[in-house]
Amino acid sequence: MPCLSGNLTEHTALTPGSVILADAACGLVCDLHSTSCAWHAVTTPFMSPTMKLLAECGLSSLAMADIGAESVLRENTWPMLKTVMRPSESPEITKRKEVDLTLYPPERIRNFSIIAHIDHGKSTLADRLLEWTGVISKESKNKQVLDKLKVERERGITVKAQSASMFFEYKGERYLLNLIDTPGHVDFSYEVSRSLAACQGTILLVDAAQGIQAQTVANFYLAFGEGLEVIPMLNKVDLPTAEPERTALQIESAFEMDAGDIIKLSAKTGLGIDQVLPAIIERMPPPAGSIDKPFKALLFDTWYDTYVGVVCLMAVKDGLIKRGDKIVSSHSGTKYEVSEVGIMHPEQTPTGTLQVGQVGYIVCNMKSISEAHVGDTFYREKHPVEPLPGFVPAKSMVFAGVFPIDAGEFDRLNESIQKLTLNDSSVSVHKETSAALGQGWRLGFLGTLHMDVFRQRLEEEYDANVLITSPTVPYQIKYKDGTMNFIRTPADFPDANTMQDFVESTLEPYVMATLIFPEKYLGNMLELCSSHRGDILNHTFIDETRVMLKCRLPMAEIVTDFYDKLKSKSQGFASFDYEDAGYDSSDLVKMEVLLNGEAVDALAAVMHKSSVVTVGRDLAKRLKEVIRRQLFDIIIQTAANGKVVARETVKQMRKNVTAKCYGGDITRKMKLLNRQKEGKKRMKKIGKVELPQEAFLSIMTKSSD
Amino acid sequence: MATASRTPLSLYVHWPYCSFLCKFCAFSKARIPAQGVEHDRITSALLRELRTSLLPHKDKVITSIYFGGGTPSLARPQHIGQIIEEAGKIAHLAPGAEITLESNPTSAEIEKMRDFKLAGITRYSIGVQTLNDKSLEKMGRLHTGAQGLAAVDRARSLFPGHVNFDMIFGFEGQTAAQWQRELEVALDHADRHISIYQLTVEPGTPLYRDRNAKRLVLPGGDSQASMYEVAAELCRGRGFRHYEVSNYAVGLEAESAHNKSYWRCQQWVGVGPSAHSRFVDPCSGRRISSVRIPDTRRWLQRCEEAGHGTAKSTVIEDADTKQEVVVFGLRMLDGLANARFREFSRGQSLSEFLRMDQVKEYVGQGYLTWDESTEHLAPTERGLEVIDSILLDIVP
Repeated sequence: MPCLSGNLTEHTALTPGSVILADAACGLVCDLHSTSCAWHAVTTPFMSPTMKLLAECGLSSLAMADIGAESVLRENTWPMLKTVMRPSESPEITKRKEVDLTLYPPERIRNFSIIAHIDHGKSTLADRLLEWTGVISKESKNKQVLDKLKVERERGITVKAQSASMFFEYKGERYLLNLIDTPGHVDFSYEVSRSLAACQGTILLVDAAQGIQAQTVANFYLAFGEGLEVIPMLNKVDLPTAEPERTALQIESAFEMDAGDIIKLSAKTGLGIDQVLPAIIERMPPPAGSIDKPFKALLFDTWYDTYVGVVCLMAVKDGLIKRGDKIVSSHSGTKYEVSEVGIMHPEQTPTGTLQVGQVGYIVCNMKSISEAHVGDTFYREKHPVEPLPGFVPAKSMVFAGVFPIDAGEFDRLNESIQKLTLNDSSVSVHKETSAALGQGWRLGFLGTLHMDVFRQRLEEEYDANVLITSPTVPYQIKYKDGTMNFIRTPADFPDANTMQDFVESTLEPYVMATLIFPEKYLGNMLELCSSHRGDILNHTFIDETRVMLKCRLPMAEIVTDFYDKLKSKSQGFASFDYEDAGYDSSDLVKMEVLLNGEAVDALAAVMHKSSVVTVGRDLAKRLKEVIRRQLFDIIIQTAANGKVVARETVKQMRKNVTAKCYGGDITRKMKLLNRQKEGKKRMKKIGKVELPQEAFLSIMTKSSD
Repeated sequence: MATASRTPLSLYVHWPYCSFLCKFCAFSKARIPAQGVEHDRITSALLRELRTSLLPHKDKVITSIYFGGGTPSLARPQHIGQIIEEAGKIAHLAPGAEITLESNPTSAEIEKMRDFKLAGITRYSIGVQTLNDKSLEKMGRLHTGAQGLAAVDRARSLFPGHVNFDMIFGFEGQTAAQWQRELEVALDHADRHISIYQLTVEPGTPLYRDRNAKRLVLPGGDSQASMYEVAAELCRGRGFRHYEVSNYAVGLEAESAHNKSYWRCQQWVGVGPSAHSRFVDPCSGRRISSVRIPDTRRWLQRCEEAGHGTAKSTVIEDADTKQEVVVFGLRMLDGLANARFREFSRGQSLSEFLRMDQVKEYVGQGYLTWDESTEHLAPTERGLEVIDSILLDIVP
């Protein structure tokens, strides 16, 4: 765009407090206080077409960041902009100065994802592709552009799927390539499957030094199950420890696919990056569908934007949609008017239209995220279509009680949880009241990592101070009259009489686990699985030294410390992944913890009969370690089926008095007293027994071996 | 104005030097410098600070003076005499005021005992600590148990009825039975007062470092409790009243008037490095807490430059004062009278201040006694032993 710098002068007139700044939900916001230029473009009726042009072209060469609308547009920003912006291979511009997506029929579109194990370089590859196509600039330090949550960058994981559109010229034709990010961890496999539903192909990225990991396997089968074209690629081939030939062999044997013409690259250095997009264009099929059919789109992700409300990410299966169109949700029948459509480039970039095969966002005056039903099919008003199959809703596999440490924080925490679940609808929320911990919630998560991430986000993004009870899995009770009941919390577990008279059987959820590890740990891994009530199905060598083990395990066995044990018993070399494997009947009991005869509801747990003695003894011992001596004996009992399993006593404190206290000691003594009083406030009282926070933490991990 | 109607004031004088440093001591102290103690310099600094600090309290009556440290028995008796005299010149020194000097049972100090008496000391307190020579050596003390007892005997002849000595229990490897035998011997030599402390590991002491490095394993909580109980039992048998957590006396006269002024939250002025003061400021009427610079060298310099070595002075809020009155009052078996509490509470009564539901519960369990009509609160023997736990519940 050589004319761009000329156009810039037009904007000088706009700068001082222009109309776009008057609208909080608006427009073009530029913050040049920071070293990198940050842009956030959202359509508003006030936005001048030239500004949009600027935004679009600018977007292709500037680092992106979502910044507050209150940032001030300053006069001196324009000269600086001129120097940062470079003409780029910009897409075609319409009369409204928007990218004209009508120029991209399905045959010139590819929708793809990258599946990889944690740390195998998925986000780095995404960054390189975005740079390669000029979506983000090479100068700025791009690190995990798609991983927008702090927790994602910190942990190097992807929690929320994001997408980004790129334009790429290949053999004289311009292509629109949509990268749809997928989370790598099994806890987020629901996110993975809905992301995959918007793709026709996927890159299977494997670290050439580490080889195939269990999560690679799980995600491969998810993609395979969706019928996607899978292109294997080896990353980090520049590392001295890389073994590309061996890793290629693993891919062949684990996935039964031809790895002969495998692409070898280094996302870090950019080596081989030039082969990636051509391979996608050559080998992946274009999206199906027809422009002539009525509009039909799959809603596969949503998020909440403070300025515009609910943003829906959609894959257009047929037809075309443009700003101003009226669309209807197949799920609810509700009608919406489209106020904005666009692509993620990588931020929201309005395009005016979206058509068959394309993937982009739609803003349509949805007030609440609950209206945006992921998996829903949208159609044009008065032109109903056959809805797409949609998704099976995310199932909570791990439940935990969440309580404010300070009861006075309840309202604030309530608000924080609501806000956080706005963008993570996979967390199920139920109010819960515990005699020991007061008012709180029982939250359902997709897995333990999901739970951990949620807790971290609560603490970091909302500064919350929470106590999380031991996680449990959703057990089922089958009654004699044929009804089934889920057990979200141990409090729901039927009492002994009900069990005897009305319950036919109890069931627990199982998972199919995949473990991949070097051969020498085979003994340890087999032992680990069987000690967790696992049913070993098979193990196969995926190359001369690495073993893939399949094992059916009760879900309850993996929610606490299975992963830590796996790592310690394989010196960190084993990887692990799992998928749902239904329910099996199982001899379940509820174990209660009693302090001086009083049951502590928050410490109760449902478990398999065979675990009761070990867990019961262990728990009583741990509690003995964390409960401080008081002026009376404290009897700790763990009991199941009305029978005491273990008993420990915290002996009465006989002496607690400061020996020496004279004139010079008073100040210190008073400080100590007040500090201890503060500490006492944080204790939870069970009858007269003071229970420290550590008591709840100590039961999070299962056994001390 | 007659002495009786004047506000009582106690005076604490900190003499910072020691000839040896005990491993358990957390007080401000300094080993005697190589060139020897600058006796004149430290005395004139103490006198300067005394004049500056005592002047605002010139209308009060000094009911007790306490020379602590450090090892004040290393000071020259005439200097001790000068300080006592100076105090009496600035404020009113009550006739028969209790004037205590702390000492170690080394021969040099024993020899000076008579001179201290001539200088005005009326009560002599000796750090015997234990009769076990091994423990003494381990704690870094340069005397034997026999020397300790000999010092007590000598002091009794000079200060009859006014001798105290300190004993400590809870040394590494010590059992309750051993402690009982040791204390019995000690009590054979006792005058009318004895202080018995549990060995306490204070942060910053060599003992603390040893314990953290697991070079030292002290008896567990239950055996310490047994030793505490042995002490209370034995002393009672010998006619000593357990009047404070670690203090026993025969007859009210023998109890330490000076220390009771701390536990009763009365007023005192402290001079010398690290010394604390707590008094009602005659101008503002507010209770003040202040502390002197702890480092001897820096304290000396400040005194010489500014006339005093105060490091920090703060107003104590009424709410904190009320807490202190309860916390320290309940260290004494006599407990706390409502009348005394009300001196500090602007009319609030003890029952209005305390968490009475908790008080009643502890009364029911035999840890406290509460007189409904006079609102007098006191710990029982059993209550005193766990008073720190009880205070957490009853003090709001």
